[in-house]
Amino acid sequence: MLMFSYLMATGITTGAFYALVALGIVIVYKSTEVVNLAHGDLFMVGGMLAYTCYVMGGIPYLPSLLLAVAGAFVVGILTERVAYRSVLKHGLASVLVATIGVSFVLKGIGRYIWGGKGDYLAFPPIVSPEPLQFGNIMIMSQQLVVLFAVIVVMAALALFFKRTRAGKWMQATASNPKAAMLCGLRIDRIYMYTFAVGAALAGAAGVLMAPLTHLYPDVGFVLFIKGMAAAVLGGLTSIPGAVLGGVLLGLAEQLAAGYLHSSFQDVVAFLVIMFALIFLPTGLLGARGLRKV
Amino acid sequence: MKRLSTTITASLAFAAITALDAQAQGANVPGITNSEIKVGSFGPLTGPVYIYGKLTMNGVEVYFNKLNQAGGVHGRKLVLVREDDLCKPEGAIAAVKKLVHDHKVFAIIGGGCSNPTLAARPDIEKERIPFHVFAAVADGIVDPPAANIYTTQITASIESKAQIQWAIDKGAKKLAIVAQHDAWGRARYEPMIQDFKRRGLQVVADEEVTVDQNDGTAQALKLKASGADAVMLLGYPKAAAVVIRDSIKIGYKPLWIGQTAIQDLPALQGLIGISGALADFVSITTVPGHPDNPQYAEWRKLLKDTFPNDDLSVFNLMGIAAAEVFGKVLEAAGKDLTREKFLAAYNTIDNFKSSIYPGPITCKGGHKCNESPAFVKLENNNVVFAGTVALK
Repeated sequence: MLMFSYLMATGITTGAFYALVALGIVIVYKSTEVVNLAHGDLFMVGGMLAYTCYVMGGIPYLPSLLLAVAGAFVVGILTERVAYRSVLKHGLASVLVATIGVSFVLKGIGRYIWGGKGDYLAFPPIVSPEPLQFGNIMIMSQQLVVLFAVIVVMAALALFFKRTRAGKWMQATASNPKAAMLCGLRIDRIYMYTFAVGAALAGAAGVLMAPLTHLYPDVGFVLFIKGMAAAVLGGLTSIPGAVLGGVLLGLAEQLAAGYLHSSFQDVVAFLVIMFALIFLPTGLLGARGLRKV
Repeated sequence: MKRLSTTITASLAFAAITALDAQAQGANVPGITNSEIKVGSFGPLTGPVYIYGKLTMNGVEVYFNKLNQAGGVHGRKLVLVREDDLCKPEGAIAAVKKLVHDHKVFAIIGGGCSNPTLAARPDIEKERIPFHVFAAVADGIVDPPAANIYTTQITASIESKAQIQWAIDKGAKKLAIVAQHDAWGRARYEPMIQDFKRRGLQVVADEEVTVDQNDGTAQALKLKASGADAVMLLGYPKAAAVVIRDSIKIGYKPLWIGQTAIQDLPALQGLIGISGALADFVSITTVPGHPDNPQYAEWRKLLKDTFPNDDLSVFNLMGIAAAEVFGKVLEAAGKDLTREKFLAAYNTIDNFKSSIYPGPITCKGGHKCNESPAFVKLENNNVVFAGTVALK
């Protein structure tokens, strides 16, 4: 029973990791219908910027976090302006290929700037590194920070899309770009800010998760795969779906590793993607409506 | 006047003969001129594990620069030519062909990843080019021996045997393994399982981790349930850190025994983040001290001079250490350098006390020049020598 309790608790906290990454993927997809394959690398950029400010520069944590998020936001704008906008007219497949290119470029920049500092860069935890006791199980306090951050981000995004004009513009553009343009929306700007917000989310995730994932130029790839699996399972257009998908993926990984064998832990994400694509193409909470012509 | 013209004529003739001789030697021995020796290197310069290539090569270059500033080896400057193998077998084969046929290097010091280096071995043997392994650890690179391949890295099987021996020497009764099952991990895992069988020992828990693992709770729970009192860690630093961290979380504290991939103990402690996490941890080492230790001040400075973005790491030191032996062999090979003389000179390396490797280096009579696994531990945040084992 103790083992089950540990696996469930760890599944939820690990799932929060994946949910935080998945939220960034979903927000970009929801508005642009593009899966940003460079999302994991934006996570790396955010973490590395925070490392530069906080660990190397000695700037306090909160300003470091804000600077890293702002930096990732700017990188998001730059990537859209430089790499995505010019290929958007050739279709979504071209943008997808461009995101792969951006992913390689960002990794290369990461290796050039931070690659000579050692294999893994340790980011000090913002809370006590000692585990906390809940009943008869122990949980790392930094994992609770991530869990809390997921709840905050999910609520903020829900409010953003439901209550703000910018959020509604983004949804309108995703739903029907031509109609949105005819209504006077500058969809190029909306796309730009969408990629920037997605990048900022990735940056925030990078900073919050860095004490647990540690930092290296390729840190984003595996987290992107896990985040993608969570987003596909939950529904690529659903913010609550991203969180649900993340938690379910985290639980599936832990239970498979605990009760089958630890060699199954990493395979689960790929199985989830395959399962979701075959049996739940719109995900658990994704939009099911088909557009009839 | 006549005397002066005779002197000038004789000098010109001497210079011409010397130049012709140098040209002739250059024509016969690839990569050698009168003023330089072109040395090739291959390993990952980009990609997820670039550290094993790029940083190790940076170390080699730092040592070569030091030799060059002191006048080179027998008056010849060493020039390092790098090729990226992306840590892929096909990449290493292509890199070796390029070094041999395009760059026409004299010898190769390299091999960042085990599997690609293994894949390149047939070509290296066929070309008979001297090859000094600086980082890859798979036994198959030098076992069975090839006449032109030497390694100064402790090989995987030696490390795996040493880990088990350490556990037994410390009185451990129940031994467990946590291993990466990629090519790197299997090069260590399989000799370890064989050694368990040879000794008639049973593995009480055999868990898997991945290089990018972010949580090790499931592994820790199963290790604890097995009652293992010593755990052999066959993983990279991040994988090792999460398993140790999550073991502490559930109150499980066995004797952890690491290998050279996790020899940077302060860095590992930083990754775990919990004070005292490495109280019961030892690791085999290539470098018997932390790169920040005062004994490496000279290398820190020389590295910064050449690569201002880099901080001295274990990988740099691995490159420096291998280059030091390589330079020693070059020196022993003499001024009239040929590949045959260079390879023969490895036999002169006998109980060589390197400035970095913890044990003596002996290439005389064997191609595994480093067979002295030493262990380190962390005490008061300082890396200290923990002891050695006698491999039975």
